[in-house]
Amino acid sequence: MKFSLDNIDGRLVGIARLEGRLDARNSKPFQKTFLEWLEKTPLLVFDCTLLEFIDTSGLGAIVGCLRKALEKEGDLRLAGLNDKVSMVFEMTQAKRLFSIFANQSDAASSFAGEPNPGTA
Amino acid sequence: MKTILAFREEEYAWVHEAFPCIHPLLLPLCNKPFIEFLIDFAIIADSSSLRLLCDGGFDAVERYCENGSRWGIDLSYGSIHPDDTIHAMLGKNRKFCGEERIMIISGFSFIRYDKRLNYKSLANTMAAGEWATCPGGRITLSGMPGKTPAHWVDAPLSLMPLDGMASYYRASMEALESGADRYVLPGYGDEPGCAFGRNVVISKSVEIRKPVSIGNNVQLLADTVIGPSAIIGSNVIIDRKSSVESSIVFDNTYIGEHLKINGRIASGNRLNDPKSGASIAMEDPHLLSGIKKKGVLRSFPRKFTHAVAALVMIAVLFIPFVILRSLLKLRGQWKSARTDFLSEATGMTMSLGKVELSTASSLTSIAAALSMDRYGWLFRVLTGQLALIGSKPLPAEKNRLEITRSALSYRPGVFSYAEAEEWPSSDGDATGGDAAIVERFHIAHSTPLSDISLIIKAFVNRFQEKSIL
Repeated sequence: MKFSLDNIDGRLVGIARLEGRLDARNSKPFQKTFLEWLEKTPLLVFDCTLLEFIDTSGLGAIVGCLRKALEKEGDLRLAGLNDKVSMVFEMTQAKRLFSIFANQSDAASSFAGEPNPGTA
Repeated sequence: MKTILAFREEEYAWVHEAFPCIHPLLLPLCNKPFIEFLIDFAIIADSSSLRLLCDGGFDAVERYCENGSRWGIDLSYGSIHPDDTIHAMLGKNRKFCGEERIMIISGFSFIRYDKRLNYKSLANTMAAGEWATCPGGRITLSGMPGKTPAHWVDAPLSLMPLDGMASYYRASMEALESGADRYVLPGYGDEPGCAFGRNVVISKSVEIRKPVSIGNNVQLLADTVIGPSAIIGSNVIIDRKSSVESSIVFDNTYIGEHLKINGRIASGNRLNDPKSGASIAMEDPHLLSGIKKKGVLRSFPRKFTHAVAALVMIAVLFIPFVILRSLLKLRGQWKSARTDFLSEATGMTMSLGKVELSTASSLTSIAAALSMDRYGWLFRVLTGQLALIGSKPLPAEKNRLEITRSALSYRPGVFSYAEAEEWPSSDGDATGGDAAIVERFHIAHSTPLSDISLIIKAFVNRFQEKSIL
């Protein structure tokens, strides 16, 4: 997983690139790592282009991340879901919870023009 | 007239990949195996004898269709070479063809016909040659035509290639939407667009939106929404608050709680998107339902309840057990042997005494009806090795790997949930048998209280079943 910070229209947006599998084996360490990212900024994008598989634990972890970002008055947006991962989000109706974009740059730029966290 | 059905493996190779457990010719279209649609059409077109030719194995098809007597036809089997032309096929099957008119249906394609129309006179009187064709499939007539009838009635016929998941999905939906007016479809229903198989349990709050086709032994739990355009196979459980719309659910599939299946094909633990061809194997034993192995504290009430119930049974059945066992042993009708079974702990086994009540007599019937053959197992409930009700204990040599993988859904019991629910025995098949899916469901969802009622049901069901014997 790679994490980088991007400045979008004066807002610090964290972009995490998820790779491989997100399942019961790695969802807990993933959530821990997320807390570190969240300390840097509550505006986050998960680029799922290289995410090949997700199970309910992984999905639960991502929903947990969203909840934590919202608690900090931020948001977590998803980008580049492949068909397989998208099916899991659709099936569990988790798709309704997230703003999902075709690619990472669209997701990141969607934060432009929105109020800075904590200033609204 | 006679009909030849000819298939080449390369035409349906995609089925092996997409649905590896099903022979392509038995692939269900609207809960009816593909081959049956072709047999139906051959019968409508006045065929009395069919020969099925294939360049690959079709043991499963032979076992399913046998000699065709269930359709009132003669069905025989043969093999072809992948490069055989129609002419070569006719030559190799000269004896079968004789002097009669032959209809050759070749290729893996779905025939769009209407059972109300008269294909008989068309098939018998049309000139030899192609009747219908599509990429990868054709219907050809050979031999001399009969006399043209005075009133010629056209009957539309077309073919739809089944060359991938998308076309398979389309054909299934088309069959469902055309309904039983056009095709011979399985199931019963009071109104058009609704076909139900046997033993379908529908909770009060279930919403059914036509058209739907539902197979045998299906449980639709509270607040589920089925349809429109849902094909549910046999031995399926749709759990609470889930919806299935414009989708196909294959046999032996469990759909977990709060799920939305729309425009998909669910087959076992695999979810397919017919449009994109994407396919994902769910690794959660309950297809994304929240199954969790109970911790020590959470499993304690269940173990305690089971132990108390087992103690009661031991006490109540003690005298009948002592009397019946002694009498049957004297008569040589009580035989017991130790067998290794898989235990709940992953990869571990346990040795249990398995009693066989040989030679049916009134005494053995009474003993079996009172479940005396399982009396010794009740003590294993007290030690926590067995549940009083759970999965049917599986012999250690069978499916060990599968059980190890799906240990979350295996808890051996004196009685099985399948016995309580009167589901056909899975005969030790933990991977997808009729009973195994019921057992997995109850292991995930039952409570100590519901277990008590299921134990009573299982005991009573055994009593009724064995006392009849």
